[in-house]
Amino acid sequence: MLDGLALFGRSLLNFGDPLTLIYVAIASLLGLVIGALPGLTATMGVALLTTLTLKMSSEVALLVLVCAYVGAIYGGSRSAILLNIPGTPANAAACLDGNALARQGLAGRAMGVSTTGSVMGTLIGIFFLAAFTPVLGEFALKFGAYEFFWLALFGVVVSGNLTGDDPLKGWLVGFLGLFVACVGQDAIHAYERFAFGNRDLAGGFQLIPALVGAFGFAEVLSVLSERSARPEIRSVDSYFPRPRDVLKYWRTVIRSGLIGTFMGIVPGVGEDVASWSSYAAARRSSKEREKFGKGSVEGLMAAETGDNACVPGAMIPVLALAVPGSAPAAVLMAAMIIHGVQPGPMIMVQNPQFVFDVVAMMLYATLGIFVFGLLLVRPLIKVLQVPRDIIMPIVFVLCVIGSFAIAQRLFDIWTMLGFGLAGFVLRRFNYPMAPFVLGIVLGDLLDKNLRRGLVLSDGDLTPFFLRPISAVLWGITLLVILMNVPAFSRAVSAVPAAIRARLRPETGP
Amino acid sequence: MWSIGWIVAGAAVVYGAWTMDRLENMHINPYTAPGLVPGVLGLGLIVLGAFLMLRAVRAGGLQNSEGAHSTLAAGRLAAAVILCLGYAAGLVGRGLPFWLSTFVFVTATIMVFQWPERRARGTIARGAVLAAVCGAGTAAAVTIVFQEIFLVRLP
Repeated sequence: MLDGLALFGRSLLNFGDPLTLIYVAIASLLGLVIGALPGLTATMGVALLTTLTLKMSSEVALLVLVCAYVGAIYGGSRSAILLNIPGTPANAAACLDGNALARQGLAGRAMGVSTTGSVMGTLIGIFFLAAFTPVLGEFALKFGAYEFFWLALFGVVVSGNLTGDDPLKGWLVGFLGLFVACVGQDAIHAYERFAFGNRDLAGGFQLIPALVGAFGFAEVLSVLSERSARPEIRSVDSYFPRPRDVLKYWRTVIRSGLIGTFMGIVPGVGEDVASWSSYAAARRSSKEREKFGKGSVEGLMAAETGDNACVPGAMIPVLALAVPGSAPAAVLMAAMIIHGVQPGPMIMVQNPQFVFDVVAMMLYATLGIFVFGLLLVRPLIKVLQVPRDIIMPIVFVLCVIGSFAIAQRLFDIWTMLGFGLAGFVLRRFNYPMAPFVLGIVLGDLLDKNLRRGLVLSDGDLTPFFLRPISAVLWGITLLVILMNVPAFSRAVSAVPAAIRARLRPETGP
Repeated sequence: MWSIGWIVAGAAVVYGAWTMDRLENMHINPYTAPGLVPGVLGLGLIVLGAFLMLRAVRAGGLQNSEGAHSTLAAGRLAAAVILCLGYAAGLVGRGLPFWLSTFVFVTATIMVFQWPERRARGTIARGAVLAAVCGAGTAAAVTIVFQEIFLVRLP
């Protein structure tokens, strides 16, 4: 405990010099603008900024990316409130009450609530990031090949189940992502799989160009192909947060923070599910349920606390297991590897300082969004009024640079184009992108550990099913799948009623 | 029709994995054969694709449960695809300086997408100047920021 505090203190001091604080300010501001502009998501923003950080030291580079990530998730609430268009998918729930408040002439108050909720949510997430990552890291040291295989499959199945309307489509793209990760040299024998003699394909698809394509180019195509009117924004009242909003809804803040953090820890689920889950939970337990959707401060607070708590939450499995909790966290994980930091179970043994560095980065990012959230309300409104016909070509130029710059291969630009076109078509047909991304990230883990496990057990499948942690992981994976079978789901739902019915005669008079 | 596509893709992956070299001449452990995992994933795609087809058939037709919800304008989409592919695959890396191809792309894209609105308002010349300014600004900014300040090589 004291060791952790000492490491955290050192991390805070390390990032406290003026030049680093300038980076914090610029990155938070960039993140805020990226998040606020509809069509620019946190994933895209972090992926594009990775290019700019290539020549920085690893600590500063990751600090910049973390600030941009936190800033983007917060910034998305601005367009949700002012335009009724979520700046990032994470802010869709904020549209419901945020824009309703704006229509009542309370846009400023809504932005204040969003700032308070985002800051509180990030702080709750940061607490669990600091407290839980070392514990999970220690626990993950018990993981072997069998457990990592199930963890990879569990991530794809859960992500497919929760991130779209149709789990079957989520699992299909998840499996497609796992397959895409198999293209190129395999990690055990360096054999070229599905390369067809092409030298570029033999190197495999790099994660950043694939993500820039699936999230960036696909979004550019979506936005440019739809006609949009120039946004009109009403006047803004006072936007300073009111402490009594937090005091009045403290239960909602804590509940949403916990839900958001938990959703962040679950692999590949991400901020949008965290936000909707927090909103739904707040609505269920609210005394003012009738106000939800019509301008409820509590609803907006829940949505914004939930999605921002998810950001530090999503970093917990990245650091402890090398499994990303959300799509932007997947990019951050790729950036860590590019900068020579290897996340995973050994991090608490080899580089415990880094875990607390990330905690400190999150804290500085929170400070950044709080300051800019209060100071830059009116300039951000101007940014929101720039037509998207002008922004999107510039974003596409950044997509091209972002794909090329990491390895200086033209093939990476073509990868971005291919994944962008595929992502655009898949999204049009309601296939979610998060499981696809998670599949690409986890493909290598699944591939190596299935084969290693089979070698260790000499082809015996029982260790995959009977080791305690493996049993829990495959049990949950199977349960998630079966819960989508109507007959099974009905039977499970009937169990509590059956138990109550059986207990009633015994407890009765 | 998506379900058939998934099943065909899964079958192609299984075929590719099955016919992949098992490296027997290197005496490797057969459980580490490179085609093992792709083969399993291909089977997974076939099974999930079959479920998708089954569900579509039960819902009354292959198209009903799989259709896209689309509000996009086909002309705008075609223009976006042509401009983006033309820039990224046609101009970049073909000998033209990056700043010049970027200027051409940004200017042309803004002009194309603002054309109907500008024509209706009679402000085409103003739109062209604005597009050229945006194009020049973007080309200059990305070159200075990426190449000069952050030392990132441009294509």
